[in-house]
Amino acid sequence: MEQGYRILEHPSDVGVEAFGLSLGEAFEYAALGLTSIIVEPASVHPTEQRFVSIKGTDPENLLVRWLSEILYLYDGEDFLLSDVNISRLSDGELDATLAGEQLTEGKHKLKMDVKAITYHELKVDETPEGVLLRVFLDI
Amino acid sequence: MMIEGLIYADTELIKAIEHDLTLTQVANVATLPGLVGRSLAMPDAHQGYGFAIGGVAASDMGKGIVSAGGVGFDINCGVRLLRTDLRLDEVKLKIDALLDQMFRDIPCGTGKKGVVGALSYDELDRVLEEGAHWAVEKGYGSSEDLLHIEETGRIPGADPAKVSRRAKERGKDQLGTLGSGNHFAEIQYVSEIFDLPAAQAFGLYTDQIVVLIHTGSRGLGHQVCTDYLETMQEAMRTYDIQIVDRQLACVPIRSPEGQSYLAAMAAAANFAFANRQMITHWMRGAFEHVLGNGNLSVVYDVCHNIAKEETHRVSGSSRRLLVHRKGATRAFPKHRSEIPADYMEVGQPVLIPGSMGTCSYVLVGTERAMEETFGSSCHGAGRAKSRHAAKKETSAEELLDDLKHKGIHVRGASRSGLTEEGPDAYKDVSLVVEVVHNAGIAKKVAKLIPIGVIKG
Repeated sequence: MEQGYRILEHPSDVGVEAFGLSLGEAFEYAALGLTSIIVEPASVHPTEQRFVSIKGTDPENLLVRWLSEILYLYDGEDFLLSDVNISRLSDGELDATLAGEQLTEGKHKLKMDVKAITYHELKVDETPEGVLLRVFLDI
Repeated sequence: MMIEGLIYADTELIKAIEHDLTLTQVANVATLPGLVGRSLAMPDAHQGYGFAIGGVAASDMGKGIVSAGGVGFDINCGVRLLRTDLRLDEVKLKIDALLDQMFRDIPCGTGKKGVVGALSYDELDRVLEEGAHWAVEKGYGSSEDLLHIEETGRIPGADPAKVSRRAKERGKDQLGTLGSGNHFAEIQYVSEIFDLPAAQAFGLYTDQIVVLIHTGSRGLGHQVCTDYLETMQEAMRTYDIQIVDRQLACVPIRSPEGQSYLAAMAAAANFAFANRQMITHWMRGAFEHVLGNGNLSVVYDVCHNIAKEETHRVSGSSRRLLVHRKGATRAFPKHRSEIPADYMEVGQPVLIPGSMGTCSYVLVGTERAMEETFGSSCHGAGRAKSRHAAKKETSAEELLDDLKHKGIHVRGASRSGLTEEGPDAYKDVSLVVEVVHNAGIAKKVAKLIPIGVIKG
């Protein structure tokens, strides 16, 4: 698979599959994939920055907490993601810089509400070629 | 420990159930500690997260577990039915004006904020404690409405302190909104009565206009579930609980984490009750404005995603159980103390919404449900097609045209919201209801046909 993300079909909800050369890169694409379900990516610009630090008990848990953070920033604080850089991801800890902007009605083309990130058929596959992630969202 | 599983279906619906992970999930739930009776699935069951949607599982209050996944992310996603004293021919010609007014007055769709404005944290805490009672106190409806809501619209034991700051941030400007996805408000008429005494008790008659509202606890409830899934996963180790699926994360009901979850769940449920109460008020306003008649009474309001502490007879003795209903509706029979006094001689209304453009049903709870399903029934049609597949097959224009030919007018906040939620995407609700009726766990009372719908 090429680096990036794609959206997956599911009987009642939606999924994201992301591929990166490293775990951090895959996590970045997963965040962008989640955002692309919520809003038209081209309508969001990187006008402000946020810094986040997340801890997880294992890679799957870290992924769910990471994407839950992205979702919370949108649904709770009206922050839409435009770009992301994970500066550190090791030993279950992640530091990231998020670029994006405040949701503005009329400016941002919202697509779908996401309720939550789930563990359903969650996959974190680390191979020599790269890292493949798969996660399903409750919508 | 493993209890039995029991699926309610017919030969057609079982094929759909066999097609996804539903059966595996029913079996997985059967392995949870302290469960009583059977791990159940209703005829509209489809795969969910850990627990199937359309699943019922009861835990012993003293020795059993509680699982956030057994309730679902949308805590107290539920349905409210309002009756009017208007007939179909009085409303039909004004349906577009009515829908336009509803669409103006009731926020719906992705990202839509409540018209109340962002609540203060103190006020939000009151909503979480008081539910629909808070809404009535603020002028949304009357105390008479409360008599016809499950738990009078306020689940006891709610503790706002057990709801995270994040959940409150998500919820504080979403109160009084319909949401998106499969949430909607529908104007319908009663097309058929199956049980005259029950219909009369519920105040329903042929050609009467009714309103069905389907919504839940919005971002607040979703975050509560997300938070407690994490809490339960971590805490499980302390209690030496082994599970076969991570999403079945659970803790003993009597543990601090279990008690905290139930208090937070009750709070989120109360948020949803307040939500439906506010939407009812605006619905009355829209009817008053367009038709000069805003007399809408609550027939009933039921939860579809909840865990309830109830007394049930198991092998001849009374036991206190926590009944998890995820995509399932309580269906209590006559003479149960929990149901409204004016329904005591017939039983509790069970509200089953069909998907957009199909019919809905009112049923009534039965003694058989108490014996077999912990007083539970189905909740509505389950999804048959993925959202993506549904969208590919029908365009919004085709769907709107098709619905218009059937006499159903639609206001949707988004085009994809329309096609993803079209009737073909769902199992046939009439089939589902037939199974439930024939199995005797709820009996048909009335069939409702839509003439207008608003959705996100």
